[in-house]
Amino acid sequence: MDIGLPKRVIEIEPATLPVPEPAPILEPTVEPLPAEPEPAPVHAPEPEDAPTRETPA
Amino acid sequence: MKTANSVAHALPVDLTVEPILAWRSWTLTGRRDGEGLLLRPVTAGSRAWRPREIAQATCRLAWSHEAPNLDCSCGLHATREIETLRRTRCPAVLGRVALWGRVIEHELGYRARFAYPQRLRLICQFCFWQGHAAASTPDVVAWYARDLLVPMCVRHLGVAEANGMKPRRVFPAALVDLRLRETYAVDTLVVPA
Repeated sequence: MDIGLPKRVIEIEPATLPVPEPAPILEPTVEPLPAEPEPAPVHAPEPEDAPTRETPA
Repeated sequence: MKTANSVAHALPVDLTVEPILAWRSWTLTGRRDGEGLLLRPVTAGSRAWRPREIAQATCRLAWSHEAPNLDCSCGLHATREIETLRRTRCPAVLGRVALWGRVIEHELGYRARFAYPQRLRLICQFCFWQGHAAASTPDVVAWYARDLLVPMCVRHLGVAEANGMKPRRVFPAALVDLRLRETYAVDTLVVPA
């Protein structure tokens, strides 16, 4: 294609580039599983105090 | 041997911030399913214009200079008038492009360092060669070997098939036109009558 002879040089620095934004990368959104409640701590039963035998005076 | 500077000094150099809008045509390729549309220069071997990416000129003839160079024919070409494009080979898409960076203005068009399409539309190249762009609306897009997509009106599809150019697949032109504009994120081109 013939566009003829050159006439002038133009240096163009646009303030904003006339190019669309890159296409967004769509990632599948996965709902996080609800956190399971932590099991209540199991406390070992404290040993009952052994009955103390009263010593006769 | 002339250098870029020697010629550049003979031409006026203007500075501006507004991109130049000009006319351009491309060939079109796409996959068998009609996706993966890609604008390609009508000059064989040139790099495709990728969607949502700035097209940047490089010189295939000389790696020693940046494109466009005054003493070369390199650069991203566009024309001042739409009718000049009727001389191009196998145009499938017609559009308005924004040009910026170093732009060399010629008598009938431009050579630029950077460009991106602003408006696009498919055309029937056979109608375009014979008449005006506004009357070149295609009905279908024929898919040929090497993923070449050729928009055509029904009449010229018949002529192509009668001459042994039966396409492997045919898509509705409106569908491909919409996909093309979505792919490049541009508006439709309205050709003045």
